[in-house]
Amino acid sequence: MSEATATSGNTALDTKIKTDQIVVNMGPQHPSTHGVLRLMLTLDGETVVDAEVVLGYLHRGFEKLCEEGTYTQNISLTDRLDYFNSMNNNWAYVKAVEMIMGIEVPERAEYLRVIMSELQRLVSHLACTGFYVSDIGAMHTPLLYAFRQREEILDLFEMACGARMTCNYFRIGGVSKDVPDGWIARLKAFLDQLPSKIDELEGLLTGNEILVARSKGVGVMTSEMAINYSITGPCLRATGVQFDLRKDVPYSVYPRLSFNVPTLRNGDVMDRFLLRILEMRECVKIIKQAIEQLPEGEVRTPVPLNLRPPIGEALSRIEGPKGEMGYYVVSDGSIAPYRVHQRPPCFINLGIARELFIGTKVADVVAILASLDPIMGEVDR
Amino acid sequence: MNDPIIAIAFFVLAAVLLISALAVVMLRNIVHSALFLALAFVSVAGFYILLNAEFLAAVQILIYAGAVMILLLFAIMLTQRANTPMSNVSNSQAGLAAIVAAAVFVVLAFVLSKTSWLTGAAAVTQPNTEVLGKALFDYYVLPFEIASVLLLVAMIGAIVIARED
Amino acid sequence: MDVINNIFLIGRQIIATVLGFFLPLPVVDAVIAIISMALVLGFAAVTMMGQVYVERRVLGFMQDRKGPNRVGPFGLLQIIADAIKLLTKEDIMPSRVDRMVFRLAPIVVVATALLIWAVVPLGRGMIIADLNIGILYVISISSVGVLGFLMAGWSSNNKYALLGSMRAAAQMVSYEIPLVLSIIGIIMLTGSLSTVSIVNAQAGLWFVIWQPLGFVIYFISAVAEINRSPFDLVEGESEIVAGYFIEYSGMRFALFYLGEYISAFAMSAIATTLFLGGWQGPILPPYIWFVIKAWAVFIVLIWIRATLPRLRVDQLMGLAWKVLIPLALINIFVTAVVLVPLFQSVAK
Repeated sequence: MSEATATSGNTALDTKIKTDQIVVNMGPQHPSTHGVLRLMLTLDGETVVDAEVVLGYLHRGFEKLCEEGTYTQNISLTDRLDYFNSMNNNWAYVKAVEMIMGIEVPERAEYLRVIMSELQRLVSHLACTGFYVSDIGAMHTPLLYAFRQREEILDLFEMACGARMTCNYFRIGGVSKDVPDGWIARLKAFLDQLPSKIDELEGLLTGNEILVARSKGVGVMTSEMAINYSITGPCLRATGVQFDLRKDVPYSVYPRLSFNVPTLRNGDVMDRFLLRILEMRECVKIIKQAIEQLPEGEVRTPVPLNLRPPIGEALSRIEGPKGEMGYYVVSDGSIAPYRVHQRPPCFINLGIARELFIGTKVADVVAILASLDPIMGEVDR
Repeated sequence: MNDPIIAIAFFVLAAVLLISALAVVMLRNIVHSALFLALAFVSVAGFYILLNAEFLAAVQILIYAGAVMILLLFAIMLTQRANTPMSNVSNSQAGLAAIVAAAVFVVLAFVLSKTSWLTGAAAVTQPNTEVLGKALFDYYVLPFEIASVLLLVAMIGAIVIARED
Repeated sequence: MDVINNIFLIGRQIIATVLGFFLPLPVVDAVIAIISMALVLGFAAVTMMGQVYVERRVLGFMQDRKGPNRVGPFGLLQIIADAIKLLTKEDIMPSRVDRMVFRLAPIVVVATALLIWAVVPLGRGMIIADLNIGILYVISISSVGVLGFLMAGWSSNNKYALLGSMRAAAQMVSYEIPLVLSIIGIIMLTGSLSTVSIVNAQAGLWFVIWQPLGFVIYFISAVAEINRSPFDLVEGESEIVAGYFIEYSGMRFALFYLGEYISAFAMSAIATTLFLGGWQGPILPPYIWFVIKAWAVFIVLIWIRATLPRLRVDQLMGLAWKVLIPLALINIFVTAVVLVPLFQSVAK
């Protein structure tokens, strides 16, 4: 600003009208920061000139807590990180422990894990999309439309493991128990009606002119930026980079299932949500195949009650709904892990937030934030 | 002013107008002054209604109490400083100013009471909006258009000055 | 039939005759005026309660949930419960607010919203004051309403509140222009600013047929003028939390809500009067027709609120200045050149 004044001429018209900037605190109590995220925005009128993301209001010392509990106890802690994504958190953690111990998981359990993981991806994407539309002011209608489907999935979770959000379903060596009778039938019935509901949700996104105007070209992220900030998941794929651990570093039974990894090119808010819609369709495909291939048999390799993995370390990576989820677990041979470290996709995706916020309007901040889909439970850990 | 209701209305409006006008000048907080100015504008509109000039009254409220005041308040609130309670600048010459104001009032009152006003044959009772419109767009169309062009020029000038590039 | 149609007028006549026996004429007029004002205000207040209930209920159905259904039959007493709750809440006055302005702001908002009702013809001859500048009066009153928002935002001494009131002022001043321009078409057709003559001119065809573009522009600008979704940037709960009334609580907060609903219904009533034929309609008594039409417009407002997300500030301004105002000017031009001669030949 000062450079521009210095280089231009000295006529009377060049005197800049000086405006004060104000610093506005968005959060930690704010309806649209998805929990206790705090943004300190420096505003010039309605334009954001600087933004600072302040974290830590929900810090619970997850990693340290893990060093206190036994390996099995820690599974329930992972539920509470990303509460829209407990199944995948469970999975990434137990996978790391299984890697240290070298346990083979029964085939039926692997399929159940895939089904649960994809259902959880649906939950996460539904909630994210619904919240986005309500964040930019649509009075919760799309949110409730999305939640109607989420409710069905949560009912299925409840049938399988007794809990809706903090599922704690995965165990080291398999899953806690087999799904009850009639579960598969109900899942099939749900999947049959889901595609039309996904179309409806997509219609709400693309068919609404105001929403398109609010999302198109807003918060544009180039693939270079995304890679530099190590963004993963839908946010990365919306920039055109085809990277998905399910395909690129295959794990579990994913190689036996056929599905696409959708990508879009613009990297704006709109594309991030459209990509989530596309991924939901792939989820349906994956689950349908998994149900067909689902073998009979055990769901859990027996492990000793007093689990003491051998000395060693392992890094597990799975594709969560928000991006790459990783757990690094170090065992010193005792009943509790020596160190647990998580790679939280929400936290790492939030890194780019400041760069995307600067230069936008206050209203766009809300839209961009929603499109990055941060869940504070996981960001602050 | 024979109708008692009109007389009462006149004196109430006059009191409101005088008090609010004094408050505009004497209050220390500039935002309060501005708000009282709005009240003064509204009471002037009341006088127009008493004079059967309904169109003028509505326009008075629309333009002065609505648009001009909003703009004024906008500017004041955007440029607010730390000591708003003392923002309406004044100095120690209030007594002198009062004397001058009183002198002006005496002169004006004298002149007004001595002038023989041109009056029509009958009081205006008919709705005059139509007449006003016809006069503006018929007889006074040239001044009207010139005024609009002038405003347009002012608007463009303001935009040019305010533009940052 | 005639008695039912004119029941309110007959009532007024009876009261005037009875009072005329022992009171001078100006006093009778004053009493009649006060009674009709009280009736209209009562109507506005009752309508407001209905509005809150219907809005919550209809929103609930549109959003696949039930809405309030616990207090009283079908949740009908919910609004009473809410009112009691709001009235008994602590009236919090933050420490560094400008007390006088803070107290006055909600009153200004509600008062300006109520004043509009003075020129709305609720039925044949049912109007408080048939001003010959009726429509201009509505516009000027609603332009003063912004003052209340500015007062609330400034006196709260809060950044969100100030941002909210700035948004309110910018938005309402901008949208007033297309609002006025959209009405001009109608004024050209009727040749009068009086709401009563506008309704009378719609005895045949409603003006929405003559002025479809004008109606759309009016409707959009009116929604912006009353700060309802998708133009509710002023409140923008997900951006600036609640905007200008963030610091208000208890009954003062309720007053803002009251003002919002009253002006929403007033805007529906004006839309009915200007474009939908006012109280004109077959069979049913005129005042019933008026209420039906105004409610229909209000339900469309709810529908919009349930469906559309919020515009961004620059898009909002762009819509007003780049789309609505040019369209309104085109509408005026077409009306002047084509519609007015046509309308006059039809009228003859």
